[in-house]
Amino acid sequence: MLKKVITYTALFILGFCFLLPFVIMILGSFKDVEFAQLDPLFWIPDEPTLKNYLYIMRDGLFVRWILNSVIITIIPVASQMIFCAVLGYIFAKKQFPGREAIFWTFMAVIMIPQQLLIIPKFIMFSDFGWINTYWALIVPELWGIMGVFLVRQFLQNIPNDLEEAAYIDGANDIQIFMKVILPLSVPVVATVGTFSFISNWNDLFQPLIYLTQEKMFPVTLGLASMLGKEGNFGIEMAGSTVSFIPTFLIFLFFQRYFTEGIQMSGLK
Amino acid sequence: MTSKKTKLPFGERVKREWNRNAIVYIFLIPVLIHFVVFQVYPFLLSFYLTFMDWKVIGDPEFVGLKHWQYFLTDKLAWKALWNTVMFSVYYILPTMALGLILALIINSGVKSARFFKGVFFLPVVTSFVIIAGIWGWLFRGTDAGLINYIISFVGIEPQLFLSNSSQALAVLAGLSIFKVGGSTMIYYFAGLQSIDKQLYEAARIDGASAMEIFWKVTFPLLRPIHFYVAITTTIGSFQIFDSAYLLTGGGPNYATTTIVYYLYEQGFTGLNLSYAAVLSYVLFAIILVISLIQRKYLGQESKHY
Repeated sequence: MLKKVITYTALFILGFCFLLPFVIMILGSFKDVEFAQLDPLFWIPDEPTLKNYLYIMRDGLFVRWILNSVIITIIPVASQMIFCAVLGYIFAKKQFPGREAIFWTFMAVIMIPQQLLIIPKFIMFSDFGWINTYWALIVPELWGIMGVFLVRQFLQNIPNDLEEAAYIDGANDIQIFMKVILPLSVPVVATVGTFSFISNWNDLFQPLIYLTQEKMFPVTLGLASMLGKEGNFGIEMAGSTVSFIPTFLIFLFFQRYFTEGIQMSGLK
Repeated sequence: MTSKKTKLPFGERVKREWNRNAIVYIFLIPVLIHFVVFQVYPFLLSFYLTFMDWKVIGDPEFVGLKHWQYFLTDKLAWKALWNTVMFSVYYILPTMALGLILALIINSGVKSARFFKGVFFLPVVTSFVIIAGIWGWLFRGTDAGLINYIISFVGIEPQLFLSNSSQALAVLAGLSIFKVGGSTMIYYFAGLQSIDKQLYEAARIDGASAMEIFWKVTFPLLRPIHFYVAITTTIGSFQIFDSAYLLTGGGPNYATTTIVYYLYEQGFTGLNLSYAAVLSYVLFAIILVISLIQRKYLGQESKHY
């Protein structure tokens, strides 16, 4: 009984602490804040207003940021799902010379921190003319070793019987992939997609390096530039709320894939 | 595998190989090219860069070990490394403890466990920019900050937080703990679920209290997870950048200049890309050592099973 009381008390206190920042964000976004800056509870709106939302939408820049984020997120997500599905299949099931060597070379490269690669990539992309373009943010993200690893792990646990049967029926490997492997891999491919969505949508470091023109910013970088400039709580929170909605929806519908993916990536 | 050493004509063999492995050639070749262009080549270029003086306009000039020598005497670089180590101290154990506590609560059969699991995981999927924005307002160093308001009830004077050089790093660590605790929870939750229920039964029959069961059964059995989480949070802590960039700009008085923040400043504010490359190799060396320790230990660990 005592144990139950302690558990529930801890649950509610922690739940409250974890939700409070989000509550402050959403409530604060409806607050006209200029006159209330000295009050610690300033984020509770007494007269809810849409003023902040209208303000960020006023010149189309914020909308452009959202659109940029959509472009530099959706294309890598789609590509990651395709490439990681196929490569995971190749490394799990196909026999070809150098298979293990290639896979473990890929895996070794995971240890290289992105911050190391970003310096030479900045120089390369300057030469390519990719600075201030979507290319710099899309092309390097078209596939990812983590996603390949997840699909490979998943397919290694599936017996080869189905494939073998399909070969005997005269199917070629592309047909087998499309008709046998892909339908089985839907959950793990969804995991790859959700991970890729979150990491691309939330990325700050790469846009910060490759983009200098405000109109090319994704919403993370745009919001970061607002944090420094506006100094107005309500406007910041309105921007945060809008940029939070896509990740929240993805999370709401695909929560299962996140948690399963995290477990799979860590504990074999 | 295909039947080997058949004496089929060459064309037939190619056709058969294509039927069986077309997908390998169609997908693996572009990926290998991509891998070389965007991973291997930059990695080598960066190493080459550390021996050069890169200029915005014109050819780079060979300077040998100049940048490496400068690193050894660069007080700010060592301060940045020290700050990063201090960040790890503030960050690693609290993150592990929070993750374990959250997992224990979720695993204890409470109602709405699924809902709360989602709540605790929410910061993991939320952008650093959003959380930093809220965090900055919560920890305002004036009477108007919510945290100052709350601690005033227990008689603590208002604190400066992000403007205080001895508190700023801890406030940033707090942000990261909040952001990452949920994913640590998932690892521990998986670990808790894999523990055989009969062990608890047996301990209870032996008359162990709930506390004893936790410290003598649950906690030691989670050892592989403690280790895995410790390694991943350590690697993560050495790469901390976003919150320092967003909230403190490395200050006050360089108190939150972490290794990656210093690298960013040197490379992209000061356009000293060669020296930034040296710093990035230092970071790489640290992460490599941590990862190798992990490999070695995990290798030993799996022998026990």
